[in-house]
Amino acid sequence: MAPIPNHSMDMLIRKLDSIARLSDKERRAVEQLPVTVRPLGQHQDIVREKDRPSQCCLLLEGWACRYQVLSDGKRQIFSFHISGDIPDLQSLHLKVMDHSVCTMTQATVAFIPHEAMLELTVAFPGLAATLWRDTLVDGAIFREWMTGMGRRSALGSIAHLFCEMYVKLEAVGLARDRTYKLPLTQQDIGDALGLSNVHVNRVLRELRGKGLITLQSHKLQIHDWAELNKLGDFDPTYLHLDRGAA
Amino acid sequence: MSLQLQPVRVKTGSHDTEGQLVFSDGFLVAVLVRLSQDHEEEAGLWFLEAGFDGADRATQPKFAVNAD
Repeated sequence: MAPIPNHSMDMLIRKLDSIARLSDKERRAVEQLPVTVRPLGQHQDIVREKDRPSQCCLLLEGWACRYQVLSDGKRQIFSFHISGDIPDLQSLHLKVMDHSVCTMTQATVAFIPHEAMLELTVAFPGLAATLWRDTLVDGAIFREWMTGMGRRSALGSIAHLFCEMYVKLEAVGLARDRTYKLPLTQQDIGDALGLSNVHVNRVLRELRGKGLITLQSHKLQIHDWAELNKLGDFDPTYLHLDRGAA
Repeated sequence: MSLQLQPVRVKTGSHDTEGQLVFSDGFLVAVLVRLSQDHEEEAGLWFLEAGFDGADRATQPKFAVNAD
């Protein structure tokens, strides 16, 4: 009997398809991955630093982040993740987690056993290459964040983040018309960009005052995309979405 | 160590303009700014806007001590 197609894999397929076009066989193989789907609450750890996970976590719904807490209690957020992302994909080959991953909103996740992922990558080298490419894009995003933290102003960093998240969300069909749901607090933004929440507050007021954005009830509307790009020195090349967004 | 305060207006690009220069033995060590109503529940707290030689911190603290 053929396995029943697994529709919870649609987000992963959409994400992988935004990186490289999947063949029908590859698509079916992803659909048939054995997954355990679980709802998670807000601010819930999915995997913690020093854990040795035996499964990867695919985010189906909601936002998550990679982070680390320093010995003095300060938090650094390394990256934000959206539907279709596998934020702990590295655990497939790096056995010990060197950071934690938690939800930022209520979320639905699908856990995929490492064994099944490894079998998939052996059976379908094209999929392995796509996942590899995804981790390379991940590295490109880290480089961009490093530039931002080291060299951009608070205004530039926040403008850049808003542009980046729009392009990523739009690529998987979760944003359009320069509008998206941004479920982050000022503290979250500060922890990601190395800014105090005081500076985040000031910059958001400045962006609103200039008429570039509206941010209300976690809904972000970008009114002047070109100007926000310019402020953030945003060039989406590093996101490598040249395959073409859905 | 003795600290001296000197009121100052700070151009932060926001409504947070009320500040204090903090001197230690005649040397400027910090610029504090009182957070305006823009910061809602944190309004009124003092924010370390800039610090020098040990008072410079990657994460700038906020505190409620009255600097007047």
